[in-house]
Amino acid sequence: MADNGRKAETVTLTIDGQEVTVPRGTSLLHAAESMGTEVPHYCYHPGLSAPAQCRICLVEVEGAPKLQPSCVTMAADGQVVHTDSTAAKRMRQGVLEFYLVNHPLDCPICDMSGECKLQDYVFDEGREQGRGREPKRIFGRDDFGGDVLYYGDRCVMCTRCVRFMDEVARDSRLTVVERGSRAVIDTFFDRGLEGAAFAGNVVDICPVGALVSKDFLHKARAWDLDHTPSICPNCSHGCNIELHTRDNLVQRLKPRENQEVNGHWMCDYGRANYEWMNRPGRLEAPSVGRGSDRRAADWREALELLFGRLSAAEGDVALVGSAGCSNEALAALAALGDEMPGRVAQSVFRSPRAPDEVPLPGFPLLVRRRDLVPNADGAALLGFERAGSDDGEGGLEEVAEYGGVVIVLGDELADQGEDFGANNSLFVYLGTFDSAAAANADFVLPITTFAEEEGSFVNAQGRVQRFQQGLRPPDSARPAWLVLGALVAALRGEETPGSAPEAFARLAAAHPAFEGLTWEAVGDRGAALVAEAVHG
Amino acid sequence: MSEVRFRNPGWAGNTGEFDLSEADVRGTEYVGERMLDGGHPSVAPSLPYMFVRKEPDAPLFEGPYRERFDKIRSRYPTARAALLPALNLAQELRGHISPETMDEVAGLLGLSDAYVRGVATFYTMYNKRPVGRFLIQVCTNISCNLCGADDVLAAFLEHTGTELGETSSDGNFTVVEAECLAACGFPTCVQINSRYFEDVSVDDVPAVLDRLKREVNKGF
Repeated sequence: MADNGRKAETVTLTIDGQEVTVPRGTSLLHAAESMGTEVPHYCYHPGLSAPAQCRICLVEVEGAPKLQPSCVTMAADGQVVHTDSTAAKRMRQGVLEFYLVNHPLDCPICDMSGECKLQDYVFDEGREQGRGREPKRIFGRDDFGGDVLYYGDRCVMCTRCVRFMDEVARDSRLTVVERGSRAVIDTFFDRGLEGAAFAGNVVDICPVGALVSKDFLHKARAWDLDHTPSICPNCSHGCNIELHTRDNLVQRLKPRENQEVNGHWMCDYGRANYEWMNRPGRLEAPSVGRGSDRRAADWREALELLFGRLSAAEGDVALVGSAGCSNEALAALAALGDEMPGRVAQSVFRSPRAPDEVPLPGFPLLVRRRDLVPNADGAALLGFERAGSDDGEGGLEEVAEYGGVVIVLGDELADQGEDFGANNSLFVYLGTFDSAAAANADFVLPITTFAEEEGSFVNAQGRVQRFQQGLRPPDSARPAWLVLGALVAALRGEETPGSAPEAFARLAAAHPAFEGLTWEAVGDRGAALVAEAVHG
Repeated sequence: MSEVRFRNPGWAGNTGEFDLSEADVRGTEYVGERMLDGGHPSVAPSLPYMFVRKEPDAPLFEGPYRERFDKIRSRYPTARAALLPALNLAQELRGHISPETMDEVAGLLGLSDAYVRGVATFYTMYNKRPVGRFLIQVCTNISCNLCGADDVLAAFLEHTGTELGETSSDGNFTVVEAECLAACGFPTCVQINSRYFEDVSVDDVPAVLDRLKREVNKGF
């Protein structure tokens, strides 16, 4: 919308007695939102078309003969809008009463309870008691396939799910079947949502408990969950997500809106792959010594011993980074390699890869990438080379036989055999799980997963994105940037970085690709790296 | 109460004054024979498509039906717009819209199967299950109800020996309730396939059914 010299770019109107100026073309619903007033709505969703069919966002516009749907009525100069007038309130109360005519009111066993818009609106403005005496019609539940379960009785027929499949997934598998009080959402008979790569989003956008996740079914109450802003670790697109945790376990992943990356959506593959964050049997304490000499040690002892071995290490160095680790950890590993007496002979990372990318047709920015790890691009920027074949197989054959110093960061040894690193002069393994290949390690140091630490990833768009800590780490596992940062600091004779932001500041100072970026600038929305640095 | 002057005429427009058959008034094409070419495009949508003879296994679409389908497709700007008449045509041919029929029509028009299911189930005039040769729709809405539609409905069920919505064992009759058929001046109104029977009383029911059975015997 360049300046066309015809009309002002903004309009000023009055909502509930308060003057507000919004860009031309803003809906009344958004105008009210901009001043902190939520107009109830079901069918409207910012990522979908607005059919104005739920009739609960009606507001009074002075001069208009009837109440207007605020989701599709555009703000105009001089408009006087009442969202809270008697007429608007009575209308909402009436609409809500209709919504409850056949609603089972099974909130005590409903997964949506606590975050349900029907519950919220009725609690705010509904009638204290229903007046219906007729029996309610009963549908029961319907398995839509995939991870989606449908409770027809709870449905308010907003058709967000139908429109998501039509407009965003471009795979019209859902529809409204029958009509009137018999209307339900359904697929084509036995053909469900199986194989639809983004169908899980219909659960997120359902404003009530009609569409629920089978995986999350009856697992936790919404009010017991802690929400931690994070980044999806399951591919290199890095969708912005929230970790929903309870009892120090991740219960589910939900997308977090970011129009630059993933819109309101995330893919089912990413959504479903969270169990590994809860996997028990972690490395919990540092241990030192090879084979039968292996013994547990505390961090101070382990790091002091390791510092001594590193300063006196013989031979060149091979670094194995992990594209599942944060930029801070990878940068600290690279710095450690530079501080070693020998030169860095190789520094590699691996990435399990999917055969194809899976784009979301209606929101083309969002693509399930081939790299099924979050930080392949960060690892590449920080000087690690991709190892292994195009499909992500192999890559550590050389390192396995390597004669010098080998430092392995992250869970890169799970698929390696017992003879891995048998010839090394020094073998340090920083991981979350023990493995057969770690048997030869001189030092096994427990580190945290991304869910247990703060840090940042670089996604496939070349965007730095921060994630926060959602889980307590097991016992004495520590963030890798802290462990490696302490060693680097000791070798350089400087202070250990005390926090992830500090580690990031050192990283930004050391690597030109990150030049000028600060922790604050990255914020919770991420920040794009300078393009030349990404591709250069 | 005086005696009812006008007995059931059996079809709309018969005032009892003239000895005219329905075919005399509306033309043999309309009352009897199936027009495979579908008639002139301007009137084709209003022509009856629920015939006595049904071929549930007939292919979609061949011969004259293929021509009519192509004509339908050419008359509408989008595939979605052509869906209703396409389903009409499929029901005319097969007698009901089965899931398989929905799927085939979706394929023919390039629409999603779920969307076609949504449309077909929205409209009550698409039979989602097989029906008898005669689909007897008894209006039980307010005007007819006041004039004894419930009894008429019960009489139809009794004389055909079926349950509501079920098909009689000889495959001839399916009796269903209908909402207002827009013939409130002539209660009780009964729509049988595409024809209206007005002013139907309980006593008329055996005669109506006899007439239908004669049509079956004539070989439709």
